[in-house]
Amino acid sequence: MRDSAAAQAAFGPMAEALFRSDADLTEMRVVCDWIQYRNNFRDTAMLRPVLAADETPDGYELAVDMRRGARAGADVAAEVTTALADASPGADGDRVWLEPWVPGSASCVWPFNALYWQALAAWEKTTGKTYEQALPGGESDARNAAAARDLILDLFKLWDELANRRALPEELYVLELGVGNGGQARTWLDEFTELDRRHGRDYYRRLHYLMGDYSSHVLDRAREEVAHHGEHVSGLVLEATRLSGSVGFLTGKAFLVYISNVYDNLPSDEVAVIRGRVYLVQVRSFLGGGAADEIAATFGVERADIAPLTSRLLRIGPELLSESVPATFPDTERAVLFWQAVWAALRQAERYVPLEGLDTYRVTPALTGEILRPLLAAEGDVRMHVSNGALSSFTDTLPLLHPFGRVVCHDLFTTGHEQYRTGFFGPGKYDGSTVNWVNGPLLQLFASRRGFDVSFAPFKERPGSNIKTLTAQVRD
Amino acid sequence: MIPNESGRLILPTTVVGSYSVPEWLERLKTEYYQRRISAQHLTEIHEVAIKAAVKDQERAGIDIVSDGELRRDNDIDYFLARIPGVDIAQRAKSDYYDYYEAQVTAPLPEDDKSTLGLAADFEFTRQLTEQPVKFSFTGPFSLSRRITGAAYADPAELVRALARRLNLEARSLADAGADFLQIDEPFLAGYPDQAALAVEAVNIVTDGVPVTWALHVCYGNRHARPSWEGHYNFLFPAVLDAHVDQLVLEFARKGLEDLKLIEQYAWPASLGLGVIDVKSAAVETPDLVAARIRRALEYVAPGRLMINPDCGLRHLAPDVARRKLHAMVAGTAIVRSELDLASPDSPSTGDNNYG
Repeated sequence: MRDSAAAQAAFGPMAEALFRSDADLTEMRVVCDWIQYRNNFRDTAMLRPVLAADETPDGYELAVDMRRGARAGADVAAEVTTALADASPGADGDRVWLEPWVPGSASCVWPFNALYWQALAAWEKTTGKTYEQALPGGESDARNAAAARDLILDLFKLWDELANRRALPEELYVLELGVGNGGQARTWLDEFTELDRRHGRDYYRRLHYLMGDYSSHVLDRAREEVAHHGEHVSGLVLEATRLSGSVGFLTGKAFLVYISNVYDNLPSDEVAVIRGRVYLVQVRSFLGGGAADEIAATFGVERADIAPLTSRLLRIGPELLSESVPATFPDTERAVLFWQAVWAALRQAERYVPLEGLDTYRVTPALTGEILRPLLAAEGDVRMHVSNGALSSFTDTLPLLHPFGRVVCHDLFTTGHEQYRTGFFGPGKYDGSTVNWVNGPLLQLFASRRGFDVSFAPFKERPGSNIKTLTAQVRD
Repeated sequence: MIPNESGRLILPTTVVGSYSVPEWLERLKTEYYQRRISAQHLTEIHEVAIKAAVKDQERAGIDIVSDGELRRDNDIDYFLARIPGVDIAQRAKSDYYDYYEAQVTAPLPEDDKSTLGLAADFEFTRQLTEQPVKFSFTGPFSLSRRITGAAYADPAELVRALARRLNLEARSLADAGADFLQIDEPFLAGYPDQAALAVEAVNIVTDGVPVTWALHVCYGNRHARPSWEGHYNFLFPAVLDAHVDQLVLEFARKGLEDLKLIEQYAWPASLGLGVIDVKSAAVETPDLVAARIRRALEYVAPGRLMINPDCGLRHLAPDVARRKLHAMVAGTAIVRSELDLASPDSPSTGDNNYG
């Protein structure tokens, strides 16, 4: 904000609107955000109640996206005034609610995200673009021969040592999660065969490369890409947050788990410390009244029909929605257009609900909120992602590692506690998916408690990008 | 307890290593290492936790109980922090379970006869229960692997020096009434070529200490994960020279294949049979436990068999740990009843209650 004169100029109207309002300023916190996602779930200004244990407001937080407030023509004062109206008793705004109040990870934005990957072919057909074209760089991050070569040569060195001690297993497993179009797998395997030929230990014969992805559509593409590696490659449709159920057979066997741009796309809660007390952020998705009316008119439905139709879409997908409501959606494309319209207009209200003891909050099914304590204790008033889905996946991944195995993961990571005090890290929308940066220090802390060292490094293959590379390997 | 006709237990059940450490206890231990609670408070917390652990074992029907090693931050530091001559520059920890960075810059002082305090730990447990008590401590080889420094030109000399220190401690324990001591070597499996040195050191520890001695070798249980993989072949034949009465090995997780080694090398003493997988939260059924014991009986006479988990239950939730112990006792009872039926007049032989 210090670098933007326009943003600084927006500060005055924001303050004036606050002073003009009836809000009790002693109970009002103001947060100035700088939301880098072009598409997200926020209006320029929003009011978040800070609840007491009895769920009555104990204060409010006004959050303003200064980036949008700085745009030409933005009326920050009007946006703030509208947001402050939510503090009025009984205020519900002109909104079509899509869900009740829930933690962020339980919001319908995640079923939207899941649907995007499940029905990607239908989405892409309607937009005329592949999902990779919708990524910030216009392509997937992983297909670099030099990086693959380094990893493979490290493996050869380790395998040679184990073989010399007669401790090398017969089967050599490598697992890739989030396979994209198969480019990484192809590059890696092609390099492997070549390097193995030169190395002369015939490791390729023993290699099993497992490709896992949530999207069968994506996996099919990847399979075609590596078809020439035949029986050395297997493709598995799997949920990254429940790996133990699908690849549990790999426990203690994987020498390398390679993960690319999966974690930022998994459900996350947020927690906050406000005046020393810990809160869980609850969200509630809605469509603004104007947007809802527009969708209703476009698709010839009542405003009241939008929420149930959306719920049905998320349950059965666009194809079956079209079949079940043919009068409204005569073909799949029409159902996809409805999906895209709702997604584009979707916003989230937020509120802070006090947590009565971190141990009562489940970060993952196997992990309580106690894991958050050192991070929350270190930062004073702060709001941060819990990265539940990423942590769940990471929790399930570490046991897969052979005692000398490692995880290499490219993703959007925060890498320092302080970042949550100074920046906005999601959620945002990428095409039809939901994206959050991943709480790197939390993964690091968890790994440390499990005896692994985690380090972060810039993603070498695309200098200047926000992507970081996480490496995890046994410490003791 | 089911005594045989000479009053001895058949297939006595016991525990290995640390008992389940609940999350709240982990948090309090860390609070201590971050100087937020006093040593006195932590001692009192540990005593309450140990009482509960002993009670859990008694309620489960465990024949030979332990203190659950709940005072210990991990398998190494509790000892290194007490051994004269071991330098630990930074004693604060961000997490209690982390290892210290320990150094030995000069040979350990052999004339310093001060104790490590293990006898007092034993005495506390002894007065809590009428059951027999097993007391365990980490062996010299594993302790040496977490020490750096150039005090000894030959690393084996450090192992031997640590063994002499532990021998003093074992004598104190025996003087305090301990009659069943176990040496844990959790690091040995990672250094299979060092088995002879480890056994030599074990013999220094046990020298002149008239108790039943057990030696526990596992594949590691740090963070509920094996540190190494392989088979127990590396122990043999070196371990045949160990002056111990019992070898305590893990079989539940790894399978029973290595039982053949006991027969192949004619292991002459007792076997502590790991029948509970401590790295899995899935609770074994009594039938599964019984099946594992029956399989072991194909290789070892009942009088030479003791039943225990593979290793410590530390990383399991308290409820899971309790249920596993109950299953172990119930499974053992099944086999005991079968042995009674099959051979009522000669159920077993054994040299003493433990070994």
